[in-house]
Amino acid sequence: MSGYDGHMRAARVVNEAGGMLVGRTRLQKVVYLAQLAGYGDEFPFEYKHYGPFSEDLAGDMEIAAGLGMVREEERRADWGGRYSIYTATERTPSSEDPARSAFIQAAAQIDPVALELAATAAFLHENGWYDREKDGDDPWVETARRKPDKVGNGQLERAKAGYKILMALKTPRQLPHIV
Amino acid sequence: MWQVIQTPPFQRLRRIRQLGFSEFVFPGATHTRFAHSIGVFHVARQLMRVIERHIRAAGNLRYRDSSAHIALAAALVHDVGHGMFSHAFEEIGGKLHLPLAHHETVSERLIRDSELSEAMRPLGSGFANDVAAVIKGGKPGDLYHSVVSSQFDADRLDYMQRDRLMTGVESSRIDATWLSANLEVASVNTGADEMAAGSVETLALGPKAFQVAESYVLSLFQLYPNVYFHKATRAAEKVFAALMLRLVPLVRQGDVRRTGLPVNHPICRFAKEPNRLDRASALDDSVFWGAVPQLMDAKDAVIARLARCLWHRELPKCFDIRLRLEHDLPLRAHATVAERTLRNAEIRERCRQIVVRIEAWSAERPGSTSPVLIDQAARQPYKKIQDSRSLLNQILIRQGPGDPVDMAEVSPVVASAETFEVCRAYIFDGDSESNVMLENIIGTNIKGDPDVRL
Repeated sequence: MSGYDGHMRAARVVNEAGGMLVGRTRLQKVVYLAQLAGYGDEFPFEYKHYGPFSEDLAGDMEIAAGLGMVREEERRADWGGRYSIYTATERTPSSEDPARSAFIQAAAQIDPVALELAATAAFLHENGWYDREKDGDDPWVETARRKPDKVGNGQLERAKAGYKILMALKTPRQLPHIV
Repeated sequence: MWQVIQTPPFQRLRRIRQLGFSEFVFPGATHTRFAHSIGVFHVARQLMRVIERHIRAAGNLRYRDSSAHIALAAALVHDVGHGMFSHAFEEIGGKLHLPLAHHETVSERLIRDSELSEAMRPLGSGFANDVAAVIKGGKPGDLYHSVVSSQFDADRLDYMQRDRLMTGVESSRIDATWLSANLEVASVNTGADEMAAGSVETLALGPKAFQVAESYVLSLFQLYPNVYFHKATRAAEKVFAALMLRLVPLVRQGDVRRTGLPVNHPICRFAKEPNRLDRASALDDSVFWGAVPQLMDAKDAVIARLARCLWHRELPKCFDIRLRLEHDLPLRAHATVAERTLRNAEIRERCRQIVVRIEAWSAERPGSTSPVLIDQAARQPYKKIQDSRSLLNQILIRQGPGDPVDMAEVSPVVASAETFEVCRAYIFDGDSESNVMLENIIGTNIKGDPDVRL
């Protein structure tokens, strides 16, 4: 559990993203990268086949939506899956740290497939989950190996470009140098 | 594969029970991870025949024996890294930052670098690494891998039947024959949030399996309250975890003699060198049970008390916090979905606030021989709050000539089933102080405390 006010922290992300955040993938990966950049550490993440994921964050966001701290609307995507749109309500906690908000807004601008790839590469690097010798110290190789259906059409390059933008931001902790 | 089964890491699975402490509740549940692993291999071969049939019928694809062999080997060795009492040990690993308490990490390392990799060598130089990658990735992104990791993977199909049989619970029966007979291969799109990515092939069900699929979802779900989350089983797991959380730091501090164990005991060796694979794989249920008589003689009173609890099955009593809140915050008759959602959110949040307070109270009495043990867990009947709701994460069913759809789209039973959650405190016999504390905290929370306003 993420602590006493996990649902409030989860809801706050929506305001930090500018009042709206599209998608559970974005929510998860944005918070993962923000924590990696030194903005908090309240949500523990583990690896799933869709990249770094926090059960606590997912559960806390569900509580926040249930209590009306954010509004969640689920829509069907053209590709057949479903995605959520989170919007702030009058009960959503305000953002407190402008630098963190700026980081979250920048991360939320990245398309969700690229964001998933970038968060995955960062996670693999952080946890040493790739073969440094074989892959030339490049976690993107393992990322591509794990997500062959998501790296085509220039997505891997877009993920690296998005990650580079985040790396250029001044953050409490430097994001890993993987691009 | 016969040579793989003969290796020490695989034979070790004979000494790890599939359901850990469940035999405290279901005396027949003494089956091992060894039996389960053999069963998974058997089911995986059946599923692979479905894939082979599909590929050969399609005509334009080639059935890849090598990919099939890798997936089947992964099915056989998927559990080889489990530690003593499986998931209870993983909880300890999370709290003490022991990477080798995580079974997938140990599995991967054993497959890459142990007698297992030696036994796999005749199958090709990179075979063991490929098997390890399937287990590590945990992704249903490849049709062959779907026998190891999907909604109808061989692991689940085996443990659902085996655990039901060995515990003797009469619910949770699945029609595995009909499910297998109606499995098909389908191509599904992948993506993240609103954005499409590509497509992959995976297993889906045909239209005749609709009711059986509904039953499968509910059967799996019901195993959680009935078996896996049983209050007595969980009490034993929590006692085991508390014991290890006390023991490991003592060993690390050089206080081994207070534990009752000799310095060279496998548990002490692991505590001292938790990143060594041989230390981790030297642990199993038998090693622990063999240590308990010595732990009961420990100079450390907490270890001695907890060891006695397990040896004599004198488990702490369950105080069901969530049940109490549900009783005190009743739902009106014919409540709407929105009202149910709000109440569930309130109860979850109140449970968490209560747990935070119990933990704060417990922190003020470190070293108590009657610790209050907390158990929080949740199981969704059908995963809804994963990442994007990708079709790969769902049970797919084809209802007509078109593409398969998510089961929750077409089954109101599956769509409306609510998450099963537990929030419990375990209090040792005669610990009236903790009982009073708990009543006070819950009473304050229900009446409304300005500090815990939702």
